[in-house]
Amino acid sequence: MKRDAFKDIKRVVVKVGTSTLSYSNGRLNFQRMEKLAYALSAIRSRGIQVVLVSSGAIGVGSGRIGLVQRPKDTSTKQALAALGQAQLMKIYQKLFDGYNQKVAQVLLTKDIVTIPQRHKNAQNTLFKLLALGIVPIINENDTIATDEIEFGDNDTLSAMVATLVEADLLILLSDIDALYTADPKADSSAKIIPSVTSITPEIEQLAAGTGNSFGTGGMITKITAAKITMEAGIDTIITNGDEPSVLFDILDGKEIGTHFISGVEKS
Amino acid sequence: MKQKGRIVVRIEISTLFDANGKLNHQKMDRLAMVLSNMHNSGQELLLVTSGAIALGSDRLGLSIKAEDYSMLMVAAAVGQAELIRQYQDCFDQYNQMVAQVLLTSDILYDEKRTLNTQNTFNTLLSMSIIPIINENDVVSTSDIELDDNYPLALNVATVAKADIILIKSDINSNYIIQPRNGFKATLVTNEQDLFSTLDRVLYHLSEEKDEKYVFPDSINEIVFEKDVK
Repeated sequence: MKRDAFKDIKRVVVKVGTSTLSYSNGRLNFQRMEKLAYALSAIRSRGIQVVLVSSGAIGVGSGRIGLVQRPKDTSTKQALAALGQAQLMKIYQKLFDGYNQKVAQVLLTKDIVTIPQRHKNAQNTLFKLLALGIVPIINENDTIATDEIEFGDNDTLSAMVATLVEADLLILLSDIDALYTADPKADSSAKIIPSVTSITPEIEQLAAGTGNSFGTGGMITKITAAKITMEAGIDTIITNGDEPSVLFDILDGKEIGTHFISGVEKS
Repeated sequence: MKQKGRIVVRIEISTLFDANGKLNHQKMDRLAMVLSNMHNSGQELLLVTSGAIALGSDRLGLSIKAEDYSMLMVAAAVGQAELIRQYQDCFDQYNQMVAQVLLTSDILYDEKRTLNTQNTFNTLLSMSIIPIINENDVVSTSDIELDDNYPLALNVATVAKADIILIKSDINSNYIIQPRNGFKATLVTNEQDLFSTLDRVLYHLSEEKDEKYVFPDSINEIVFEKDVK
C-alpha cells in the first residue's frame, strides 16, 4: 500500500508501549494518554475502526503500591499486572468517556493462535465490537500467561491482533522515531529508513542492539511484528508516540516513521 | 483467638443487580464494606463475581438473547471493564485495594497456568489486595455462564487452596459457609452472625489436619448442617 492510500483505510490497530504511556520515572503521563484518547476518538469519528493494544498494567500496578523500581520476579509482576490492568482500564474509560467513545477490555493469551475455538471467539467478539463502534483495548492476560512477561512482548501481540481483525494498518508507537541506517544516538550521520519492503538480514542487523529501558520491547520485537503483518498482507508503521496527533498525519499519508510495506494481498 | 482463613467469596449476579438489570450500587457498596471489614479482621479473601454481561448490556442499551453468544461476549468485554471500575470505586471508600483476574475454565488442566495463577493469588493476598475474579468470556470456549459462577468459584478455591467458599445469596441476605473437605455447609441468615460463624468454622477446620480440599461440584450438592449454632 502507498502512504497515500492510508487516507482510505477502514481498520487500524494502534499499539502503545509503556514508554509512550509513562514518564521515565515510571508514572503515567496523563497528558499524553488524554491526547491518545482524543486522537483515537477523532479517528473513530472519521468512520475508521480502531483497536488499541496497550501495555502499562505492571507500571500502573507498581505506582499504585508505591514501588519505585519495576519488580523482577514473575509472580510479583503478575500480581501487579492484575492490580494495574483494572486501574489502567478505569483511566482509559474515563479519558474515552470524555469524547463519548465506548471502550471494551479484551485480555488475550497465545491461545488465540493455537486453539481454533478461541481464535474464532476472539475474532467474532472483536468484529462485533468494531461493528458497534466500540474501541477494544487489548492487553495480554498476564496473570495466567508468563510468556509475555518472560519472553514475549505486546509488539508481537499487536501483530497477531492486526492479523486476527484483518486490519489495513498496524501502527506501533514507542519512543523510537523510526528505523535508522545506524544507531542515531551513537552515529550522527544515521538516517531514517522511510520504507522497507522485505525484512532482510541487514534490516534485522540494524534493529539489533536498540531498545528502551522501560518497556520489554526494542526495535527487534517491532521488526518481528512487522514480519508477521507483512506476511498477512498488512502494512506497518513504526514511529514515535510522544505526540499522539502523529496518528492524524500518518492517516493523511504524510511520510512519518518507517513504513513496512507488505507485497502480499490480504487474504 | 481469632481464626485466620482463606475464603473464596462467590457473588450471585442477583446479589448486585435489580430485577430490571440495573446495578444496585447500594448493594455493591454494602458488599464492599462487609468484605473490607472481613479482610481487615485478618481473613484472606478472593472474590468471584459475575455481572459483566449484565452491566455491558445495560451500558450498550441492548437486551441480548441468551443464545446470541457473540453479542454476549461483546457485552462481557464492555461490561467487565465497567464492573471492575465500580468495584474499585466501592472498595476505594474502605481503603481496600482490588485487582482483576480473568480466568478460563482450562485453568486446572494446564499445570503451568495453575501454578502461575496460584502464585498470582498468593502474591496479591500477601500484598493485602483482594483479587476480583471472573470468567474471561471473550475467549472462553465453554458456554457463557449467565448466572452460575459456582464452577469458577470451585476452581478458584482449588487453585488458591481455600478453606471456605462463602456464597452470598440474594435471598434475605443469606450467606452459605461451605468449608473444604466435605464438611457440611452452614447457612447464616444475618450479617451479625457471619463473623462469629466463620470464626467457629475456621477453628473447626484448624483442628482438622486433613490437607485435602474438596468442595461439592455444584451448589445443588451442598448439604447444610442441621444445627447452625
